[in-house]
Amino acid sequence: MGYVSLLVLIPMAALLNEAFKGGLGTFWSAATSTEAWDALKLTLACSLFAAVFNAVAGTATAYVLVRDRFAGRGVLNTIIDLPFALPTVVAGVTFYTLYGPHSPFHVNITGTWVGITVAIMFVTLPFSVRAVQPVLETLTSDAEDAAATLGASPLHVFRTVTLPAILPALLTGTGLAFARALGEYGSVVFISNNLPYHSQVSSSLIYSLVSSDQNTSASAVALVLLVLALTVLVVSNVVARQLAARRG
Amino acid sequence: MRRSSVVLRSVVILYVGALLALPLGFIFQQAFVKGWSQFWSALRDPAMDQAIWLTAKVVVLAVPLNVLFGVGVSLWIVRHPSKLSRALDVVIDVPLALSPIIVGLMLELAYAQTGWFGSTFAYLGLKIMFTYWAIVLASIFVSLPLVSRQVIPLLRELGEHQEQTAATLGAKPGRIFFTITLRSIAWAAAYGVTLTLARVIGEYGAVLIVSGNIALLTQTLTLNIGANFDSFNSYQGFVGSLLLGLISVLVLGVIGIARHRLERKRYDSFV
Repeated sequence: MGYVSLLVLIPMAALLNEAFKGGLGTFWSAATSTEAWDALKLTLACSLFAAVFNAVAGTATAYVLVRDRFAGRGVLNTIIDLPFALPTVVAGVTFYTLYGPHSPFHVNITGTWVGITVAIMFVTLPFSVRAVQPVLETLTSDAEDAAATLGASPLHVFRTVTLPAILPALLTGTGLAFARALGEYGSVVFISNNLPYHSQVSSSLIYSLVSSDQNTSASAVALVLLVLALTVLVVSNVVARQLAARRG
Repeated sequence: MRRSSVVLRSVVILYVGALLALPLGFIFQQAFVKGWSQFWSALRDPAMDQAIWLTAKVVVLAVPLNVLFGVGVSLWIVRHPSKLSRALDVVIDVPLALSPIIVGLMLELAYAQTGWFGSTFAYLGLKIMFTYWAIVLASIFVSLPLVSRQVIPLLRELGEHQEQTAATLGAKPGRIFFTITLRSIAWAAAYGVTLTLARVIGEYGAVLIVSGNIALLTQTLTLNIGANFDSFNSYQGFVGSLLLGLISVLVLGVIGIARHRLERKRYDSFV
């Protein structure tokens, strides 16, 4: 307990203390400055888009991994974890080189929301896949087969049989991905070009405030981001649990 | 074979290939783009070698500490439930929701010389911020729950029957721990250790703030890669990235094996 409080609790208290050091007014003006607001809107939009996109792509990936049999399935299953294994900064510089000013494909998405979103999609893909995959594995295909025998189209079977079963897990995974995306730094900072008011995400803004010794403003922005991430996690967990309970 | 499933399979392979496999392959290509002799001399870059050495020193301290903590805390949370251990179960997962940048900021606020504890440590003649110790602290913070998140669910699932049986037969607590408990959680722990290792080697944002990022002194390998990129020396950055890319392939291998073993263990316990 001492280890945890020295590491986690005391630094969190220090952050709270610093954010409100100048009183509520100072906190509020730092947290809602145009710079902070623009960064937060961009962070939220890119993170939400990436999380939702990966909810769909991740479900499709998990479905193929569990229900399909083909050569190379093992490799596909293994490489899904790459974002956990590869350092974010390595992903960041690689995406910058692949899709930047000297792109071998002649695609330059640096400094755009597309670039930021692609980086976040890379980082968050395994969250959705690994949340859905174990549920799909325990779900036998009997019910799906029965529905298909009765003449339901594959899409209809998926919507009425498979989706309700995996929805709680999918929601938890997407929530985790969204929360992780909100704070992402290493993979995003290179491809974003990091222009204030334009392509700077919140974590980048916090870093630039810390670098210029504006710790109080940095803490205010950090606190908003932290509360948002925790809210996303708690809400997605609660809703997922209720959904699961309703199914019995 | 239905046509729809072939289409779905192809789309998934294309997406995962473009998003994950392509960047990984690209690192290898970029590191060798100037040929072998350039690659060898880039490997002997003093700033990068110093950074590799520092990352290794951080790993050697941070990973074992977090593994001991992770296994210990999991046993405590599962086997000795109390209000305190339930609270710890929640607090321990907090680092997963925190931006690494916020972790760095929090640690700086608490441990800088002008911060809460900095003055106390300074009085004792210890400097933490912008030293090796700050990097270790940040690495431990970001990887704190990775072992326990793997071990706790498995311990809950397994229960205590085997330990109780052994105790009835007269085995001593130490022997029970090493022959039963530790052996049954070994693969879950191995999975957690590998994730911890990958996270400690790969941490960037938190270390960027607390280390001061001084080349040859407090620059880890990830920081060195970022610095090379910022100073338009992207080739040197890709050589560093190649080393981390190779490590991540090894990590993927171990994770894959550990997950496979865990699934089999789950299956066995149902039979």
